[in-house]
Amino acid sequence: MYDAIYIEDKGKPTVTYIFEHFYNDSMSAASSKGMPVIRVVPEAIVSESTMREYIATEITTVFDDIISAVTRPLTAEEKSPQRHEPENPPRLVFKGNLAEVNQFFYRRGWTDGLPVIPPTEEAVAEILTGTDLPADHLVAKIEPRLGKATVETIAVNAVMAGCLPTYMPLLIAGVQAFAANPGPAMMAVSTGSWAPFWLVNGIVAADINLNCSYGAASPGDIANATIGRAMGLIIKNVCGIRKKIEDMGVYGNPGKYSFVAAENEANSPWEPLHVERGFSKDDSTITLTFPQSFQQMLPFSTDAKGILATVVGSIVPARFGLFTLVLTPNNAQSLANEGWSKQAVKEYIIKNTRVHEDYYRRLGLDAPQASEQNTFLAVSSGSEIFHPTKSGPDPVHIYVYGGFGSWMGFLQGGPSPITKKVDLPKNWVQLVKKFKNIVPNYVRY
Amino acid sequence: MEQQSTAYEVLSPWAKADPISLHGLAPRLNKVDGKTIGLLCNNKRAAPLILEITEKLLKERFPTASISRFKSQTFSVSALEKEREGEFNDWINEVDAVIAAVGD
Repeated sequence: MYDAIYIEDKGKPTVTYIFEHFYNDSMSAASSKGMPVIRVVPEAIVSESTMREYIATEITTVFDDIISAVTRPLTAEEKSPQRHEPENPPRLVFKGNLAEVNQFFYRRGWTDGLPVIPPTEEAVAEILTGTDLPADHLVAKIEPRLGKATVETIAVNAVMAGCLPTYMPLLIAGVQAFAANPGPAMMAVSTGSWAPFWLVNGIVAADINLNCSYGAASPGDIANATIGRAMGLIIKNVCGIRKKIEDMGVYGNPGKYSFVAAENEANSPWEPLHVERGFSKDDSTITLTFPQSFQQMLPFSTDAKGILATVVGSIVPARFGLFTLVLTPNNAQSLANEGWSKQAVKEYIIKNTRVHEDYYRRLGLDAPQASEQNTFLAVSSGSEIFHPTKSGPDPVHIYVYGGFGSWMGFLQGGPSPITKKVDLPKNWVQLVKKFKNIVPNYVRY
Repeated sequence: MEQQSTAYEVLSPWAKADPISLHGLAPRLNKVDGKTIGLLCNNKRAAPLILEITEKLLKERFPTASISRFKSQTFSVSALEKEREGEFNDWINEVDAVIAAVGD
């Protein structure tokens, strides 16, 4: 829709074909860009369909509507749309008991379906002790709705998710990462159900007990569970990306609840991700990627040969974008012991992950010729699974997290990672002291 | 029960947004015959097929109309392909109206 609006603004009449299930999505995009009256023609062609005859029938059916949309005289409203005020509820929006607050928020579409902690003045004030920034400080305006991610709004959503004050620096940096370019918002609304994965580096991880080891991405750790959850609420309530309205993910993705881990720096043989990406070892950072899926694979053997053969033998064509290999500390150590640097492993994967030359021919397909045509998400091209693009010059990444075990993890797809530095408040040491002992104590049975 | 009797006055999580200046649509064509119709295709794979059929129908119905195509390399030229802005603007200047297929 953004292109149609751009062209209309240049004075040229435009009409866009829209899959009928995406009508609300297209209207949200148009409204957010100031053109709620844009002309679209709904059709019944399922997103990403390649069924030529079916498409021909559908286009023939709506063709008269297309011609009408470029020739039918404009209405007064289309010439000069009435001013539309965005919905800006009062700051104090509701009063009720726990159940009533939850039902009110749920009915307004402000939750992820799980119960929320009521964001009272008192609770929000406590969360705000986690940052030196004033409550009204604007961190970013985020597409598509261009909602204002002020420090207070981030804090309200953080309270709802169950965050502790010490998570605020990560949430602020997370918002900065999400708003860094149009990519994350586009992934969040996509039919592909891409889910944000947040990797944390630096001292902040240990300070807030962010799990980097066994079960890091499983439920059970408050930091891992609530930081991703808060970012999910922010994506909904600040960006305005709501399921089946703007988020048109076909299957959905459990990673959208919370998918957060710290890198297991203490047990990794290599430099941490943030150092590799140009930050100081003393910095704390948060890195955002948008994988489509997380696959786990047991290697043929746990030496370098077995690990690398499993990786290059398991990646299939038709992949979109980035590939991130997640290594346990011991698998990373196995590679390092045999002289493999992180960069050498990446180069090996890029060079050796290929399909046989007759792969597509045997299946009756034409080999994809993506090459540089797609500068946003790399796709397989010919026998190559990985090839650099302008916006993704480094298509393979490596993270080290998880417990000691032989399994390997594949984070599949998405645009290039975005890393932001986490700024800690002056009272960080005192804050950590106050909250660090909040840990689960499992009783042996 | 205590939770049910405690009243919580809560803050809105829905971010404030500034009013947006609204734009009207460009004037429509009085006819298609004799005009240059631009077909804008993004990188979704249904889009080229949609426009292939559209071009065929345009040529059948409006034989004096001419067709000009522009292919986006991403989901959106204006949002993601800033380096092609000049090329895109030149194309827009050449056409009288645009039919866009976004494959969604």
